[in-house]
Amino acid sequence: MEPVVRTERLTKDYGAVLALDALTLDIGPGTTGLVGANGAGKSTFLKILLGLVPATGGRAEVLGHDVATEGAQVRAAVGYLPEHDCLPPDVSASDFVVHLGMMSGLPRVAARERAAEVLRHVGLAEERYRPMGGYSTGMKQKAKLAQALVHDPRLVLLDEPTNGLDPAARDEMLGLVRRIGHDFGIAVIVTSHLLGELERVSDHVVVLDGGTLLRASRTDEFLDATGALLVEVLGDDAQTRMADALAAAGVPVVRRGSLLSVDAADRGPRDVRDVVRDTAAELGLGLVRMQADHRHLEDVFADPSDAAVHDEPGVPRG
Amino acid sequence: MAESTSPRGTDDAGRSVIHDLGYRPYTGPRLGSTAIARSLVLTGFRNAFGLGRSGRSKVLPFLLLGLNLLPALIVAGIMAFVGLDRLPIGYAQYASTTQVLLGVFVASQAPVLFSRDLRHGTIALYLARPLPSAAYAVARWLSLLLATLVFLVLPVVILYAAALLTELDVSDQTREAGVALGLAVLLALSLAGVGGIIASWSTRRGFAVVATIAFLVIANGVVTAVQGIADGEGSTRVAEVAGLFSPYSLYRGLMGAWTDADTLAPPTGAGMVAAYVVVLVGLSAACVGALVARYRREASA
Ligand SMILES: Nc1ncnc2c1ncn2[C@@H]1O[C@H](COP(=O)(O)OP(=O)(O)OP(=O)(O)O)[C@@H](O)[C@H]1O
Ligand SMILES: [Mg+2]
Repeated sequence: MEPVVRTERLTKDYGAVLALDALTLDIGPGTTGLVGANGAGKSTFLKILLGLVPATGGRAEVLGHDVATEGAQVRAAVGYLPEHDCLPPDVSASDFVVHLGMMSGLPRVAARERAAEVLRHVGLAEERYRPMGGYSTGMKQKAKLAQALVHDPRLVLLDEPTNGLDPAARDEMLGLVRRIGHDFGIAVIVTSHLLGELERVSDHVVVLDGGTLLRASRTDEFLDATGALLVEVLGDDAQTRMADALAAAGVPVVRRGSLLSVDAADRGPRDVRDVVRDTAAELGLGLVRMQADHRHLEDVFADPSDAAVHDEPGVPRG
Repeated sequence: MAESTSPRGTDDAGRSVIHDLGYRPYTGPRLGSTAIARSLVLTGFRNAFGLGRSGRSKVLPFLLLGLNLLPALIVAGIMAFVGLDRLPIGYAQYASTTQVLLGVFVASQAPVLFSRDLRHGTIALYLARPLPSAAYAVARWLSLLLATLVFLVLPVVILYAAALLTELDVSDQTREAGVALGLAVLLALSLAGVGGIIASWSTRRGFAVVATIAFLVIANGVVTAVQGIADGEGSTRVAEVAGLFSPYSLYRGLMGAWTDADTLAPPTGAGMVAAYVVVLVGLSAACVGALVARYRREASA
């Protein structure tokens, strides 16, 4: 499949600040989560893809168009949800989305129909005739999403769409993001600083850190590659004794509720599974369970020293 | 990843039946930049009069427009009933007489077109669309220009109609009205530029209104004072040069040069008249250039 986004040593410095550092990656169709801490360069990356912010080095292509020279073509085919407020308070969502549909080149009648349709899809029903100044944050984010979809783009860039939402609204927004990628057939790049929420909606995850690519891979590979084992033992004070014994044997262990998560990375002559089995036997504990630990991305991200995070820099080009 | 869709999918479907009407891609026509820009200009023009906005925002522009037209309507009424042999006020002179209303209109409506998008961040949504930032800036300026022209041209049209109905000389009236329209365009060009640039600098509406009115009125006041003093001391040239320094005095000067209106120190000689035109046009060009630069900066911020 043709990549929707292709960058080559893409670099952006704002004077002293290096926001993006020689970023080379391909982003395919489907939903891609772009994850990184504050200041990692997520928003800068999206603005460069829109042809708004000029890169200071390298190049980027979106849907086959060079962003530096064919910005208008890119922007005609891309929808954008910015991270900050962008809604005029005294206009209704309906009027606003119609107007922005026309600003994307839809004739007036078509813009009306499309606006009604996307507002329905994002779940703004009766409220759409009210001025947006009175909207809750959740409704505002939906209106922002509607304007990003009104012209039926081939790709949407969603910059922290869940920002400021309560858990229920966040779930609803993530559900919408998922539907856009899966049911609407529109490629999605969605940013967040929480990996946990992106693993639920993304086919691919790209991790940025300080403007460099930490990792890009399929979400399921990401989860498998954590290389940890979940261990459950039974007996007197089983978890603590087991954890201490494993640590003494040089195997890193983390408590996960009533279970132990054991780092299964290869670090010696003996397989970690054998170490776990033997240790349990020595302590006289029953080994109830030992299985691959599909941890959440958040854990991977929270622990950058995790060997698995570094093992696959970038997506190989075919 | 496929298996993880099911719980969320059911959730969505359960929450809202309407969601299940599938997404339909758009296959119809997509218009080019010219059509998009035209649509932006027209929407902006309507917004400048409060159309397409809340009911409250129509009050001020239409009140100002009504006040601005009132003298012309009264003149037309007098002409119809009494039948004078000439218009009591010249076509071009009209705008000079109602210049305060005009200034308030431009000052109060420029922020509608230039401050709102910046203050609310909406500009990001425009700039993420096909129209380049320069086209956005020019389109906004054109909207304000058109609205200002409506303000300036309607009284001329009313006076002209009144003049023709009372059977004044058609060729004389047409020539004078034509000169007035030319002057109106020159004045509107610069007012739209000045109003636009101030409104785009100050995203606070109140400040933009005050600053624009202050600029127009104070500059005109200072120029008029200098012209009065210089003229009184017989230094006509100084008075003429002073007239270059405010939109209203430029308008007045050209009106003095091109019509039989009696004004203080109109420019004399082709060179000075040309200088007046060049400054008026140059001022508006400089403002449009600054607006384009302003929004280009905004795009890459
Ligand atoms: N216009 C600018 N001028 C100077 N520095 C900037 C500008 N925009 C961004 N930066 C810097 O570039 C870096 C990347 O910023 P960016 O906004 O892309 O990060 P982000 O990943 O979107 O962060 P956040 O999660 O806070 O939104 C930051 O260090 C930021 O301070
Ligand atoms: Mg950001």
